[in-house]
Amino acid sequence: MFPHFGATSDTLSKASTMVFRIGTDAHLYDDPEDVNIAPLLDSRFDSEKCEALKRLLALIAQGFDVSNFFPQVVKNVASQSLEVKKLVYLYLLHYAEKRPNEALLSINCFQKDLGDPNPLVRAWALRTMAGIRLHVIASLVLVAVGKCARDPSVYVRKCAANALPKLHDLHLEEHTSAIEEIIGILLNDHSPGVVGAAASAFASVCPDNFSLIGRNYRKLCHILPDVEEWGQIILIGILLHYVIARHGLVKESIMFSLHGKEKSHSEKDDSDGNFALDDSGDISMVNVSELANVVSRSYIEGLDEYITRSSYSNRVSSDVNGTQFTSGKSNDDVKILLQCTSPLLWSHNSAVVLAAAGIHWIMAPREDVKRIVKPLLFVLRSSNASKYVVLCNIQVFSKAMPNLFVPHYEDFFVCSSDSYQVKALKLEILSSIVTESSITSIFKEFQDYIRDPDRRFAADTVAAIGLCARRLPKMANTCGERLLALTRKEFLSSDGGSANEDASVLIQAIMSIKSIIKQDPASHETVIIQLVHRLDSIKVPAARAMVIWMVGEYSSLGEIIPKMVATVFKYLAWCFTREALETKLQILNTSIKVLSCAKGEDLWTFKRLSSYLIELAECDLNYDVRDRARFFKKIFSHNFGSQGLEEETNSLPQMKDLSHVLAECFFRKQTKAAASEPINDRFYLPGSLSQIVLHAAPGYEPLPKPCSLPGDELIHFSNSNKGTTALGEELTYSNSSGTDDPDTSGSLDEESASNYDSQQSVTGSSDSGGNDDSASEGNFNIDPLIQISDVGNASNNQNGASQSDSTDLGDLMSKRVLESWLDEQPGSSNPSTSVQSQVRRSSARISIGNIGRQVKAKSHTLLDPANGNGLKVDYSFSSEISTISPLLVCLEVFFQNCSSESMLDITLVGDESNKAFDSADQALAMAESDVPTLVPMEKITSLEPGQIRNRILQVRFHHHLLPLKLTLSCNGKKLPVKLWPDIGYFIKPLPMDMETSIDKESRLPGMFEYTRSCTFTDHIGELSKDKSESLLVKDKFLVICESLALKMLSNANVVLVSVDMPVAADLDDASGLRLRFSSEILSTSITCLITITVEGKCSEPLNVSVKVNCEETVFGLNLLNRIVNFLAEPSSNHL
Amino acid sequence: MPVIASPTHYLFQIVREGITFLACTQVEMPPLMAIEFLCRVADVLSGYLGGLNEDLVKDNFVIVYELLDEMIDNGFPLTTEPNILREMIAPPNIVSKMLSVVTGNSSNMSDTLPGATASCVPWRTTDVKYANNEVYVDLVEEMDAIINRDGVLVKCEIYGEVQVNSLLSGLPDLTLSFANPSILDDVRFHPCVRFRPWESHQILSFVPPDGQFKLMSYRVKKLKSTPIYVKPQLTSNDGTCRISVMVGIRNDPGKTIDSITLQFQLPPCVLSADLTANHGAVDILSNKMCSWSIGRIPKDKAPSLTGTMVLETGLERLHVFPTFQLGFRIMGVALSGLQIDKLDLKNVPSRLYKGFRALTRAGEYEVRS
Repeated sequence: MFPHFGATSDTLSKASTMVFRIGTDAHLYDDPEDVNIAPLLDSRFDSEKCEALKRLLALIAQGFDVSNFFPQVVKNVASQSLEVKKLVYLYLLHYAEKRPNEALLSINCFQKDLGDPNPLVRAWALRTMAGIRLHVIASLVLVAVGKCARDPSVYVRKCAANALPKLHDLHLEEHTSAIEEIIGILLNDHSPGVVGAAASAFASVCPDNFSLIGRNYRKLCHILPDVEEWGQIILIGILLHYVIARHGLVKESIMFSLHGKEKSHSEKDDSDGNFALDDSGDISMVNVSELANVVSRSYIEGLDEYITRSSYSNRVSSDVNGTQFTSGKSNDDVKILLQCTSPLLWSHNSAVVLAAAGIHWIMAPREDVKRIVKPLLFVLRSSNASKYVVLCNIQVFSKAMPNLFVPHYEDFFVCSSDSYQVKALKLEILSSIVTESSITSIFKEFQDYIRDPDRRFAADTVAAIGLCARRLPKMANTCGERLLALTRKEFLSSDGGSANEDASVLIQAIMSIKSIIKQDPASHETVIIQLVHRLDSIKVPAARAMVIWMVGEYSSLGEIIPKMVATVFKYLAWCFTREALETKLQILNTSIKVLSCAKGEDLWTFKRLSSYLIELAECDLNYDVRDRARFFKKIFSHNFGSQGLEEETNSLPQMKDLSHVLAECFFRKQTKAAASEPINDRFYLPGSLSQIVLHAAPGYEPLPKPCSLPGDELIHFSNSNKGTTALGEELTYSNSSGTDDPDTSGSLDEESASNYDSQQSVTGSSDSGGNDDSASEGNFNIDPLIQISDVGNASNNQNGASQSDSTDLGDLMSKRVLESWLDEQPGSSNPSTSVQSQVRRSSARISIGNIGRQVKAKSHTLLDPANGNGLKVDYSFSSEISTISPLLVCLEVFFQNCSSESMLDITLVGDESNKAFDSADQALAMAESDVPTLVPMEKITSLEPGQIRNRILQVRFHHHLLPLKLTLSCNGKKLPVKLWPDIGYFIKPLPMDMETSIDKESRLPGMFEYTRSCTFTDHIGELSKDKSESLLVKDKFLVICESLALKMLSNANVVLVSVDMPVAADLDDASGLRLRFSSEILSTSITCLITITVEGKCSEPLNVSVKVNCEETVFGLNLLNRIVNFLAEPSSNHL
Repeated sequence: MPVIASPTHYLFQIVREGITFLACTQVEMPPLMAIEFLCRVADVLSGYLGGLNEDLVKDNFVIVYELLDEMIDNGFPLTTEPNILREMIAPPNIVSKMLSVVTGNSSNMSDTLPGATASCVPWRTTDVKYANNEVYVDLVEEMDAIINRDGVLVKCEIYGEVQVNSLLSGLPDLTLSFANPSILDDVRFHPCVRFRPWESHQILSFVPPDGQFKLMSYRVKKLKSTPIYVKPQLTSNDGTCRISVMVGIRNDPGKTIDSITLQFQLPPCVLSADLTANHGAVDILSNKMCSWSIGRIPKDKAPSLTGTMVLETGLERLHVFPTFQLGFRIMGVALSGLQIDKLDLKNVPSRLYKGFRALTRAGEYEVRS
C-alpha cells in the first residue's frame, strides 16, 4: 500500500545495521578476497592468521572451494592461539576428506595437543582428529579416545564419547570390541553429562549389546533425570529396548492386548471404568481394541514379519506366549524405569516429553497411561514444527485408546494460525475421540470450520463429520441432517468464482452422507429422498455421480424410493448427453442395477429406458462410455429391447439367471464386502521418525523380542557391577573368572593386567637408583644367570615426586593431575592408594645371557620355485645395519636352484613403478632422493642345480607396511617379485642400561605409549618338552623368559634390557614377569622402548601385554601391532 | 511441512523470522530432537546477535560457525546451555566491537573451559560476583481464547511462564512457592528445578542459572471470562459486504489494557476493502491482512471499525468468513490468578533485593465471524 514508506523503512534498517556492523566480521564476509590470503596465513601474528582464516571461512560459507590453501592452513594447527586453532579445525574438518594426505600432516600436532594441560585444547584436538575420518589413523584415534575416556575433565570425556560413532563409521572390524569397551566405561561414568553422550554413542554403535546396559541398568535409571536433555531422549529409548529384551512386556500395559484378546477385553472394560465417558457402542469398541492390538504388534515386529502378517491377515495367533510378560507391579526394573521417567514428562524439551510419554505408553499399566496426556497436550503450545510431530503421535494414541483424550477435546480445536497439516491432524484426532457428550460442542466447532477461507480444510471438516457419524451411530441422523443442510448452502455458492474449491467441499459432503447411509440405509431414507430431489441443482459431476449411485443402490429401499425411481430415471435419460464422463458411466451402471431388481409394470419402462441409454452411449464420443455400453449390451442383451422379450426369457431361462447372478455379482456385493476390512496399517514406535513419514526409515529398530535376553546374564551383570565398585574386588573377581561370560571377563583381565603393569613401572622408576644391585631373599633357586633385586614396597609419595621432577615446577599442580591421568590405565578410574598397595608384589630382576646364539631370523619366500622355473628365493631380515644410509634395511637373500639345469645371471633390481610415489610420501621422497631404493646387489653369474647362494641386500622401503616391487632377472627373463617389509627390522638395537630405559620410558607417557594384549603359548611346548625329555628341570620362569625373549629377538631387531621376575609364594604364577627391550628407529634414530608384561599361570597360555613407548606415533602403533601378531602366533619351527 | 522425506534424506525445518533452519538425516532419529535442537540454535543465535535476520547472520558468520561447531558434534548436540556457550564464545557486544576496531584484535574465543561444564549444575556459571544481589521474578502470561461465531467463549486458557532474572553471587539455592498451586493444570520446568519438592509439596526448589531464564511454564485451563470483547458483524448482498467490528472492555482487570490490536485476513474472494475506524489506525497490507491498532480503549467511546468490501464478480454473498486475532497487553496482572507466595534464598548474603512483576498479553486469541 505504501511502497514508498516501505522503501524508506528498508533503507533505514539498512542504515542502522551499517552502524552495528562496525567491528563485526562483516567486511570479511562482503569481500573476502580483497587482500591476498596466502601471506596472511604465513604471518607471525595470530591476529593476521585469524583474519586470513576468517576470510577462508567466508569463502566456504559462500560456496567457494578453497581447499587449495590446505597445506598452509594445516601448518597453523600448531598455533598456540585458541581462536586460530578453532578456525583451523573448522577448515580442516570441511576439507579433510578431500585432502587426506595433507590432513595426515596435522596428526602429530593433535597428538601433542592431546597431552595439553588445557582440557579445551585436548577436547578440540580429539574432536577434530576423530572428525577427519581417515582409515589410516583410525587406530591412533582409538588410542586417543581410550585415553580421553579417562580424562579428568568431564568435557573431554564427553567429547570422547562423541568421537566413538565417528570411529565406528569407518567400519573397521578390528576396532569394534575396543569401541564397545570404551562405551562401557563411559556409560559407567559418574558424570551425567558423559553418560548422555555415551548413550548416544551406544545407540549408534552397538544398540544390541545389552550386556553393557544390563551391567549399569539401575544406575542409568537413577542418573536419567540429571542427564542433559539430548542424552535423556536417547537413553530412554535404550532403556526401553533393554527392559523389553530382558523382562518382556508388561501384563497390565496396552501391549498386552497383543494376545488373549478376550482376556484383555474384560480387563479393558474394567479400566474403562476409570474414565468418565464411555458409551461409544460396541462396533467402535471392537474396532478400537483391534487397532490397539495392531499398534502393539507393529511395535515389536520387523518389516519381514509385517509382510508375512499382511499376506495372512487373518492370522491372530502370534508366537509370543504368556511367559514373555512380566507384571509391572512386581518387576522392580520396570517400576524403577517408570519412576525415573515420569518427572521427565515435565521437561521443557518437547522431545524428552515425547520420549518419556512413549515409554509410559508401552510399559505403564493401563490406568497410569493417562498421566502422559497433559504433558503431551502442553507440548502442543511449543513451536509449530513440534506441534505437528506431537500431533502425529497423539493421533496414534488416540486411535488405539480414545478414552485417554476424550476429556481434552478442546485442546484439538483449530486455531487460524495452525498450518494445514496441523489442522488436518486435529480434525482426525477430534473425529476419533468424539463422544456423545462432546459431539455438540465439536459440531459447533466444525460448523465454524466449514466457513473457513481455506476450502481444503473445510472439505476435511466435512469428511470428519462423516467419521464422527460412523463412530457414533446414534448421532448419525444429526450428522446426516447437518451435512444435508450444508449441501443446500453449497449449491447456492457453487456458481461462484471459487467453485473449484467449493466443489471439493460438496463432494466431500456427499461422500460423508454416503458413508453414513451405508451404515444403516433403512433409517436414512429421507436423506436419500432429499438428495435425489436436489439432483438437478447438484452440478459437480463427482457429487452428481454419487447421488446417482445412491439411486441405483437403494432403488428398492423402503416405500417411497421405488416409486420415485422411474421418474428419476427418465430425467437421467433425458440429460444423459449433457453429463460428464463420470456421471455417464454411473448412470449406465445404475440403469443395470435398477433393471435387475425392477418388478411388474416398471420393468417395461426401465427396459425401454435402458436400451435407449445404451444406444446413446454407444454413440458417445468417449470410448470408455462406448465400451461400457457394449459390455452391458452383450451380457444383458435379453434385458433390453422391447420386442421378443417374452420368447427370449422363455427360451433361455438359464441365460437370464446367469445374467441376474452377474448383475448381483457386479453391483450388489460391493456394499457388503466393504463392511469390515482388516486393519493393515503399520505403526511405528512413538516418537520415531518412521511414525511421521509412515515408512521404516533406515536404521529403525522395532522393540526387541520380549525376553530375548537370557536371564543368566543378569547374575553376571550384578557380579561385575559389584566388581567395578572397588579396584581390589575387581582384581579378585577377574582372577577367579571361571564361570563368567568369556568376553567380559577377558576384557576385565586385560584391564587389571595393564593396571598392574603401570604401577610396577612407576615403582620401578622411583626406586631404581637405590635398589639396583642389592641382594635379595628370593625363595627359589638362584640360577647363575639370574641376579635378583628387590624392588617392592615403594612409597607413593616418592613416586609422585619423581614424576614431577621432570615437569615444570611452575604449574606443578595441574601438571601432576594431568600426568597421573596420562599414566593411568584402564580400570583404575578411582585409584586409592590402599587398594594399590595391597596388590603390589615384590619382584626380582634377572638377566638372561647367551640367548643370542639361539636367535634364528624368520625366513620369508620371495619367489616360489613353481613360479620361478625352479629358482627358489627366500629372504630373511638381518640384524646388520647398513653402512650406506640409515634409511636402508639389510636383508639376507638365499637363492636356491631347485631345477636340474644351471641358471645364469641372477640379479635383483628395483621396479620402475617405485618411482611413482604416492603424494603423501612425496615430500619425504624428494628430500632423500639421493638414497636409492635398492643398493645394487652383486650378480650371481651362475647357480648350479641344488646350489644355494646368499647375498646381502640393502633396501629402502618407502612405507613400513606396503611391499616393495622388485624385478628378479634370471636367464635373461624378468620376474616381478614383492618384498614385504617387516617393521620389526626398521629398528636397530639400542643398548642401554636399566635406569636409562626406565627414565626414557617415563619421558614418553600419555600419547606416546600404546598397549595391547595377546596370548602367548610358546612356552607350553617348551615346558612339556622339558618334562618328558630332560632330567634337569629348568625353572619355569626361566623357560618363559627365554621363549619370550627368543621370540622377540627372532622377529625384531631389538636388544633385551632387563627381565623383572615376580618373587611370590606361588611358583606357578608368572604374573608380574616383565621383559624390557630397547631399540631405535633406523631412519630417524628415535628411541623405541618395548615392555612385555606377563600375566597368568606358568603352565597355561599366558596373557601378555605389550607396551611400546615411542615418539613416532604411527610407527609405534604399527610396531606394537606387529609384535602382538608374532607373539600370538604359535611358533612353527621349534628350537 | 516440518518433516520432509526425500528419496535419500529426511529433512527437518523450522522457520524463524524468515530464516529457515534445516537439519537432515539419513537414518532413524527422534524427529522432535532435531526440531527442538533447531529451535535451540535459533534461540542461541538470536540471543547472540540480538535478533535474527540475514544481515546479522552474515555479519557475524564467524561466530555463527563457531557456535554451530560447539553446539553440535557429529550430529549429536554437545553444548547447548546458553550460559556455557557465552563463556566459551563471547557474544558480540558494543564494547568488544569498539575494542576490536581500536586494537585490531578480535578474539572472541575463551582460552579456558568454563567451569560449569564440570559442575553438577552445568547451567550455572561458577564464580559469579555481584555487588548488589538481586532477583526478579516475572509472571508472563498469554491468554489463548477461541470465541465462536455465536459469540460463545469456546476455550479460554492461560499459558504462563515464570521468568527469573537472577543476579546473585555464589551458588544460591532458591525456593519459590505459590499461594494457589492447585490452579495449575500442567507444568514444565527448566532443568535446574528439582522434581521431588514439586511432587511432594508443589514447591519450586532450584539453583538458578545466572541472568535471565525461564524457570517454569504452566497452563491454567477453563477460564471463564476474557477482559475484552470483540463483536464482528458481516452482512453481504449484491456483491458487497458490510463489516462492522466493535471492541470494548468486558471485565475490567483493574489495570489499563494497552497495545490492543486486531488483525484479520480478508477472505480471498474480496477484491477491495474500504475500512475506517473511529479510533486508532487501520492498515491493509499487501497480502490482504488487515490490522487495526487501537492502543488503549478511550473512556468516552467504544472503538469500532466499519467499512465495505467488494466481492469477486459473480459472487452474490460472502460464504467464507475471516477470523479476528486480538492482541493486548496488561501490565501488573496475571489473569490466571496465580500468586507467588514467597521466595526464600539460601547461600546468599543478607543484602538482597527481590522483585516481582506480572504481565498478561494475548496469545492465540481468536474471534470467529
